[in-house]
Amino acid sequence: MKSKTVIGACPQDCPDTCSMLVKVENDRVVSVRGNPEQPFTAGRLCAKVNNYQDRVYSEDRVLHPLRRTGPKGSGKFERISWDQALEEITERWKQLIAEHGASCILPYSYLGTQGIINGLNVGDPFFNRLGATISERSFCDSGSSTAYEMTIGHTAGTDPESFTRSKYIILWACNPLSTNSHHWPFIDKARKSGAKLVVIDPYRSRTARLADWHLAIQPGTDGALALAMINVIINEGLIDRDYIDRYTLGFEELRERVQQYPPAKVAEITGIPCDDIVQLAREYASTSPAVIRIGVALERHAGGGQAVRSISCLPALIGAWRQPGGGLLQLSIWPFPVNWGHLMRPEFIGGSPCVRNVWQLGQTLTESRDNDAGNRTSIKSLFVYNSNPVIMVPEQERVIRGLEREDLFTVVSDHFVTDTAIYADIVLPATTQVEQEDIMFSWGHLYLSYNNRSIDPLGEAVSNTELFRRLAKSMNFEDPYFYRSDEQMILEAVDWDSPLLKHTSLEELKQEGFVRLGLPKPDEYAPHAQGNFPTPSGKCEFRSTIAEQGNFVIPLFRQGYAGQQLGDSVDPLPHYIEPVQSQQATPELFAKYPLKILSPKSHTFISSSFGNLTQQMRQAGEQHVILNPVDAQSRNIQEGEIVTVSSPVGSYQAISRISEDILPGVVVSPVGYWRFSSQFTSTVQAVNPSKFADLGAAPTFSDVLVQVEATNLE
Amino acid sequence: MPHVVTGNCLGCRYTECVSVCPVECFHFDDTMNYIDPDVCIDCGGCIPACPVNAIYDSYNLPEEEMRWEAINQERSKELPVLSAPIDPLPGADEKKRELGL
Repeated sequence: MKSKTVIGACPQDCPDTCSMLVKVENDRVVSVRGNPEQPFTAGRLCAKVNNYQDRVYSEDRVLHPLRRTGPKGSGKFERISWDQALEEITERWKQLIAEHGASCILPYSYLGTQGIINGLNVGDPFFNRLGATISERSFCDSGSSTAYEMTIGHTAGTDPESFTRSKYIILWACNPLSTNSHHWPFIDKARKSGAKLVVIDPYRSRTARLADWHLAIQPGTDGALALAMINVIINEGLIDRDYIDRYTLGFEELRERVQQYPPAKVAEITGIPCDDIVQLAREYASTSPAVIRIGVALERHAGGGQAVRSISCLPALIGAWRQPGGGLLQLSIWPFPVNWGHLMRPEFIGGSPCVRNVWQLGQTLTESRDNDAGNRTSIKSLFVYNSNPVIMVPEQERVIRGLEREDLFTVVSDHFVTDTAIYADIVLPATTQVEQEDIMFSWGHLYLSYNNRSIDPLGEAVSNTELFRRLAKSMNFEDPYFYRSDEQMILEAVDWDSPLLKHTSLEELKQEGFVRLGLPKPDEYAPHAQGNFPTPSGKCEFRSTIAEQGNFVIPLFRQGYAGQQLGDSVDPLPHYIEPVQSQQATPELFAKYPLKILSPKSHTFISSSFGNLTQQMRQAGEQHVILNPVDAQSRNIQEGEIVTVSSPVGSYQAISRISEDILPGVVVSPVGYWRFSSQFTSTVQAVNPSKFADLGAAPTFSDVLVQVEATNLE
Repeated sequence: MPHVVTGNCLGCRYTECVSVCPVECFHFDDTMNYIDPDVCIDCGGCIPACPVNAIYDSYNLPEEEMRWEAINQERSKELPVLSAPIDPLPGADEKKRELGL
């Protein structure tokens, strides 16, 4: 028997990017496990990826190109060759371009695989060159990224490994035990050395259960809490005056602004008692080093961006940045010396392209809009890869209505015939991570990782890089850039001459599987001890200098394109924006739909990935909704009953779970369940609207009112 | 049901599993360790750490070991948590050899 172990890296859209040991016997992957040598991921994987080989060898894998033979959504396909598939796609595109212009083609993708060459930007050069509509991918952390850029700039923030030194840790709107689990041991070590762990979350998550103090906040009110903390810290003189004088901008204006947010008033807004708010502010300001870890959920309400702005001001006020283990952690991706521009090639974009936001796919596919030239255009072709919008995008029924359009030519590249792919005209077979080569950033630690290919692609599956080489050839693109080998692409993907990578090489990275960026050790790394914020002023900007350019999505999420931004005006000082759906803001809506819904990530799925696999489904159970006993009782709903969750956008059915883990008036229903794998049809995105939050076109999935009722099964 | 400790642990009680567990889900008595299924997060780190291959992802649990799911569930709730590794039971190495490991 031929046996080998290959060093890979997990491809999923998770902050942890684990180094993974892939065991191969007779050219077949038999198991995966965590690489014990990697200091951050430390030999562990997770409930999603432990049995990755089951994904690879699933009998449902798409291994050959398919062409639709029945009505859209019928699931009837026939096998065709790659040549036929490419010819059909590109001939159709050439006709559509001649008739409507290339902007009638919309690429649609995200991080179904997260590798640098196969992930976020792999199709950008192709579609930029084609002149297709720009896909504005504000899926995740876009609101936070805009808020960050306006406040402390694109910094890694606090090294997640430095948390072992922290004495006061606030996990704000995040549940690392389910979605960032390799960070937990660093937090736990700090706790065992005496740190206090505070979790701020409307839901008593797995992590909140282990906290020293769980503050169950009303959804969408985090910004108010942060501003009240600033109020207490400034008014009680708990600030680091020297740090503020040297390294911040706009302190006096902030001081004045937060007088609007006294703790007593904010207690009413957040549901957190006034004394608790004061205690939180005092403890946070007086325990050093203090650190805040914010989760993606924070941005998902009307005022999400300003909430992130407000929280980002806190560490500078108390000088928390002075020490390793103090400060703020959100996205550690920014220091990675990735050649983003070379990956996206925004200079290929000609003239004034159309831009469509990914969250508004339902709207984009069901109505035509004027483009900048004043022409009425609509999307005639959709090219989906690395994503499953039917499950992950709001207005689920409207998205499906769009996908059912007979005049829409849809191509989907995936591992499976997903809930999206079933509406495709052509389905293309994509490789899994063990069948492809890639180099990986992380947005939750500071190690560059390498994924060595373990086995040859199954069937006729191809990597995304190969997919776009083939499409470029079929479209007769001449630029040799489109025909670079994976090896060349990996070599060009990062700046090997950067001081952060000078100590290593591609060869070494391939052998080891990971390398820590050339930054100070976690025990010594305090990136903003002396300011050095990557903002226009070099300071932490309480008053943002770039707010005057208005609201925007960072170009990284827009194929590199910086034009045609949202541009709505932004107050340069942090402030609280109330939820758009609430008893106060929308009393008529509230009368019919009195429950706030949260749709967090599941413990066993990554977005919708793994939502079709036996092990993960067995653990996740059916699409469910968790209600407080008070809300269940008043609706005469029993545990385990089939209930209907509805909003003005749509409705879905779910199994009720009753628990005091959630506040009265709030319900929780995890996202990621497939329609195919459900005994019902629609899933939670059926009730969510496509409205944007205040910054970065973030969604508002934590700012939605619903009703939950027992289902009449007659 | 997450990870499960099975019969190979009986009479051994090595606690390498405890060293790698990020969430303190292991409990113990005088014979072996047990996983609290409500605390385990399914990181899988304990499987290769166990010197006697006693731990399985419940998804991969062999038919003849199924009974351990209920035993782990029940016993972990009654017993103290293991926060740090302790010495293996006397005779552990001998049993390991008997298991051919």
